Amino acid sequence: MAHVVLRHRDIPNLNQFDVYKKNGGFSAFKNAVKKMQPTEVTDVVKNSGLRGRGGAGFPTGMKWSFIDNKNWPHYVVANADESEPGTFKDREIMESNPFQFLEGLALCSYAVAANVAYIYLRGEFWQLAAFLDEKIAEMEEAGLLGNKILGTDYSLKIYTHLGAGAYICGEETALLESLEGKRGQPRVRPPFPPTFGLYGKPTIINNVETFANVPMILANGADWYKSMGTADSSGVKVFSLSGRVRRPGNYELPFGATFRELIYGEKNGAGVQDARQVKALMPAGASSSLIVVNGDDKILDTPMDYASVRTLGSELGSASVIVIDDTVSIDWVINKTIHFFKHESCGKCTPCREGTYWMQNIVHRIHGGDGKQGDVDLLLNVAKQMQGKCLCALGDFSAMAVVTGIERFKGDFDKVVKV
Amino acid sequence: MSKQVTLTIDGKQITAPEGALIVDAAKMAGIDIPVFCHHPKLEPVGMCRMCLVEIGRPMRDRATGQIVMENGAPKIQFMPKLETSCTNRVEEGLVVLTQSEKANAGQKSTVEFLLTSHPLDCPVCDKGGECPLQNLTMAHGSSQSRFIYDEKLHLEKQVPLSELIYLDRERCIQCARCIRFQDEVAGDSVIGFDERGRSTQIVSFSEPGFDSVFSGNTTDICPVGALTTADFRFGARPWELDAQASVCSQCPVGCNTTLNTRREAKAGGNIVIKRVMPRQNEEVNEIWLCDKGRFAYHYTESKKRLTKPLTRTGKDRKVNRVSWEAATKLAGENFLKAKKNFVVLASGRLANEDLFNLKTLADQFGGKAVLYSHIGGGELTAQVGVSAGTNLGVLGSGSTIVVVASNLYEEAPIWYLRVKQAAERGATLIVMNPRETKLDKYASFVERYDYGQEIKSVQELTKKGKLGDAFMKAQNAIIIYGSEGLGVAGSASLATACAKALNETEHVGKANNGLIGVWERANDQGAWEMGFKPEDDLAAALKGKVVYIAGADPVGDDPKLAKALESADFVVVQDILENATTEIADVVLPAQTHVEREGTFTSGERRVQRFYPAVAVVGDARADYAITAQIAKHMNFIMQSANANIVFEILAETLKPFEGLTYEKLSNVRVQLPMIGRGDMYYGGTTYENTHGLGVHLSAGATRGETVRIPRAQKEALPKVKDTDLLAVPVSKLYHRGATIESAQLLNQRIGKTTVSMNFDTAEQWGVVEGAQVKVSFDGVSGEAKVKIDETVSAGVMLVPRGMGLAIREPAVAKVKL
Amino acid sequence: MGVLEPLVELARGLGQTFRYMFERPVTVQYPEQKRTVRPRFRGRHVLKRYDNGLEKCIGCSLCAAACPSDAIFVEASENTDEKRFSPGERYASTYEINMLRCIYCGFCEDACPTEAIVMGDNYELSFTDRRQAIYPKDMLLEPVHVHTMLTPQKVDAGVFTRSVPEMKDPRD
Repeated sequence: MAHVVLRHRDIPNLNQFDVYKKNGGFSAFKNAVKKMQPTEVTDVVKNSGLRGRGGAGFPTGMKWSFIDNKNWPHYVVANADESEPGTFKDREIMESNPFQFLEGLALCSYAVAANVAYIYLRGEFWQLAAFLDEKIAEMEEAGLLGNKILGTDYSLKIYTHLGAGAYICGEETALLESLEGKRGQPRVRPPFPPTFGLYGKPTIINNVETFANVPMILANGADWYKSMGTADSSGVKVFSLSGRVRRPGNYELPFGATFRELIYGEKNGAGVQDARQVKALMPAGASSSLIVVNGDDKILDTPMDYASVRTLGSELGSASVIVIDDTVSIDWVINKTIHFFKHESCGKCTPCREGTYWMQNIVHRIHGGDGKQGDVDLLLNVAKQMQGKCLCALGDFSAMAVVTGIERFKGDFDKVVKV
Repeated sequence: MSKQVTLTIDGKQITAPEGALIVDAAKMAGIDIPVFCHHPKLEPVGMCRMCLVEIGRPMRDRATGQIVMENGAPKIQFMPKLETSCTNRVEEGLVVLTQSEKANAGQKSTVEFLLTSHPLDCPVCDKGGECPLQNLTMAHGSSQSRFIYDEKLHLEKQVPLSELIYLDRERCIQCARCIRFQDEVAGDSVIGFDERGRSTQIVSFSEPGFDSVFSGNTTDICPVGALTTADFRFGARPWELDAQASVCSQCPVGCNTTLNTRREAKAGGNIVIKRVMPRQNEEVNEIWLCDKGRFAYHYTESKKRLTKPLTRTGKDRKVNRVSWEAATKLAGENFLKAKKNFVVLASGRLANEDLFNLKTLADQFGGKAVLYSHIGGGELTAQVGVSAGTNLGVLGSGSTIVVVASNLYEEAPIWYLRVKQAAERGATLIVMNPRETKLDKYASFVERYDYGQEIKSVQELTKKGKLGDAFMKAQNAIIIYGSEGLGVAGSASLATACAKALNETEHVGKANNGLIGVWERANDQGAWEMGFKPEDDLAAALKGKVVYIAGADPVGDDPKLAKALESADFVVVQDILENATTEIADVVLPAQTHVEREGTFTSGERRVQRFYPAVAVVGDARADYAITAQIAKHMNFIMQSANANIVFEILAETLKPFEGLTYEKLSNVRVQLPMIGRGDMYYGGTTYENTHGLGVHLSAGATRGETVRIPRAQKEALPKVKDTDLLAVPVSKLYHRGATIESAQLLNQRIGKTTVSMNFDTAEQWGVVEGAQVKVSFDGVSGEAKVKIDETVSAGVMLVPRGMGLAIREPAVAKVKL
Repeated sequence: MGVLEPLVELARGLGQTFRYMFERPVTVQYPEQKRTVRPRFRGRHVLKRYDNGLEKCIGCSLCAAACPSDAIFVEASENTDEKRFSPGERYASTYEINMLRCIYCGFCEDACPTEAIVMGDNYELSFTDRRQAIYPKDMLLEPVHVHTMLTPQKVDAGVFTRSVPEMKDPRD
């Protein structure tokens, strides 16, 4: 099947303006700006069933339709602060298929009548920022961006903005704060960005991959897109596969493909390293709940879509599948995730700031071999105590792997603690 | 009144104004929801997660939007997660559970999390005993810690953010109240967070550190002992302190304070003031206090306090310690002899009662009552000043505030705060000043004029144009005028112009309208109401006279006055501290400070407020009104002096604006919102509740229906200046070399050297550079000063700070030499 | 009533007397002799020191707060490395107990967070003047045998950095 988002894998040099244009590029945008009303664009996206690819899976078209039309100006922001451990899809899209992403961004801006769009990139993507700036300049030169696009009344400027490398800035309100030049700390929600966003103005924030889907939907129609994937999760998804697999990398599969297809498919993961057994899966990077596999075929045959993964007690999230085989002890996994979240906690709210720090203290003890059974219980209790009390999702995410790790892999912890 | 909504909190049905936060609505209904980061005066942030509650909203049918009913009542849908009551606003039909098992568990977990990094050094912490974290731990915390004590984070302790404020990084719970206060209320964004996660810490990024005159307030609202004042450090435990209501004597704002006192061995077993705390008065200072008011109380316990009456007699001017009787007799005899040559020179340091007796004495014996001040125009504030019902705290949209010739941030910081907030609420703020001031940022219109052109600018207010429209069409208009670049005559003319503008546009004689003077001292307005007036040429007025000086140091302030007093016939000084004038006086009479006695001050907003005795009298000092009465007795004139209450009674009978006022009326209180200063220190900080009186406004001439008499505005008599001349103008500074500030060791460091400011071109023209030590001379005065280059100063002008050793009374042509 | 009755009574009384004559006396010859006090006896207070001589008292005033008869008065000041009295930030610059007011209940001991104030075994408190009954800090402090252990001490910077010393003896 031809790729939708990772089209550059089928078409070489797609990141060159001429190549992209020759392959149907910008036709959707030109058509929209010239012939469609903004709301029509939103309707097509709404009908396609496209859901946000950043993790929460919120219906994209619905988000766009929430924009507050009483308050002006509007902004569109592309969330390219890809920092979730195990997620590396946006970078590939922006490097190899930048125009499709930019076109999607422009389409969204048109749909919500924004004249300025920002691409918020994580600090480490500085080379990518320069690269995107070049691509934006090329589009401007071709009259696809800038003032009075294609002779219409619509104008759009796209700017890139580099963050300072904080994970929390992937959270949409923290991203906005950072973009405004303040400390990257989340805001209290509600109000949500479509009513109170950048500089207090209505703002649409979507993930890079979400935007990259939009031109194809506009070009081929909502029905075409809906024909892929499942009823609940339509279309295709770029899965970032990592962990103990032979061929880690990004693989574009329609929703509903099974874990087995992703991990064992010859074109995909090509199986677990050293032919070991899959012990656990983290379907959404470090912030996942752990899925117990232990070689269970039924679980590996579960289709990967939002609803099905939820039945396994986890979330699909950004679909960054980390494969854990039976050589890995879960206390090691948790040690890694807590260390990460403790380092990335922004410090704004108490449970996350103090909880991640406390959890790290306990998990160091356990992982270092000094832990007692009581420490495991305490760790579980502290993690549960954090859940549902934090200002943003980071606090909950940090507890996710801990709670499920301890509850679902108790044996691993029993082995490392002193009795 | 705004729209009210009905909601249920813990089964209790309450009504609250629409838009109120749940936590505030609960507080008004007497339900305590614990908070750390929330403060009723700050914007909500929802950071600390202490106020977690269960919130249920009436369920609405998706299709129809109608409220779903169940058993005759709306069906309530509770959110799966706990929510912060400090960020959610009240809605009709809301159901809030603050005490449910789930909510309690949430609150308990937050306390536990906060304590994991807290050092638990309560025994040595200055906040211990009045600490929200301590109290809420008692209420919601666990008795046992699950955190291993040895794993506690060790961070820097006792980090000086400035010489006034210490930070303890271990105790900080990152609630950002201090940062938000500085950003939102004070408008001085000088502290902020650095780092992230558990490493988040408060830093000051100004030079010098924590460069704000409101810094002390952060220690009041800090919910832990992270921010403490260097002044009070280890001074006492809060439960050992007594509290006495008082009024700040540092500036005309008249902030309500509470003096915390304690008997001390260090002070020889005397009761001493340990700290000055704000006392809530939403119409004056809300719950804030500037650093000068907070830290400059040390003069009351200064070693330089006068304790015994002294006389200087004979050719050799021998100093004798004499009895009160002898000293007052000597003074009285000389006053009698003086006849028409009798001059009473008093300052606004004195209370209304003192000034009343002094004025009565002067009137009785044909003397002249002179106010020791550099600002004129008070007879106009008495006529068209603000009166009953005025509250800067309610001014907003539809009101216009004009600030002319005053740098409020330096001269009356709390007025700056109040005016700034009024502007933020939507009031039109017009700032007229020759140079940039901190208030400009919040102004709708900024009018720059050259020194000497202030009257012309004020006249713009009644002409057609942007300024005129904003002023004339305003529902309420207040003009606050000062003395930047002006002497007595200049400021008097400015006041005339302002009064005229107000009178013409009928912004007089009603609440929230009128003229306010930014006086030099706390009770200057009171002195004006009594009939004291400053003298344009004070030196001439003192020459060869018999002078009775109360609360002023003319010799130390101005060499010209020193010279005039040298040739005075007889000088009696009545003051609290030794100074240059007491060194030359024939009779020195020790007076009590306002913290040792009863009395009243009239603030610049013409509010009469009571202060109460807090500490024991130093030495043999007596209250000023009593000293005056004792002198009068020797002049065969009987004056009331048994206590302040009686003097005030007579005063109220005699003076129209004071009509009907009694001490009892002055000590009346009303409920003030938000309710701060009760037992729940976590809610509003350690500010005290006002139980001792909110004060009462004087009536203005215009309110009483008297015809307003405004003299014709004179042109400012600016000296003739050529292009090549340098014009020296006086400006006011918050921390100057006043006796009250110099006695406070910590504030002393902020006074700095005498500096004169001019812009680069002017400096170049005079051949001086930044930091150069120069000799400045003008109007017969000369002295040394450091040059500061300041581009906000207009060309050909040199700013000379008042009270810094260079005696400048009015604009003068000056010279500088290296 | 028999004639012998008084004699019997007399003999019984004398018997009692003789019996006690040979028993060990209960009384002690105070003040030449002193009875040892019970281990939990609550006598005059002592302000304890750490092994290096630094005072345990941090001047927190909790003893004064706990005192039911308001007998204790404390004033605190700040330590410096030049003049160090106690290992923490704060020490008692004034510490007075009015022994006439004290009811020897031991609440101060309980309240003390650093175990600085301890009820000792001295019960010989006599005064000829009310003022003498107020014991200042130098009378309450535990005596030292080496003069270098006297406070204040001059110490190296950076050794004592905690605001409240932990309950172990600090290292020098």
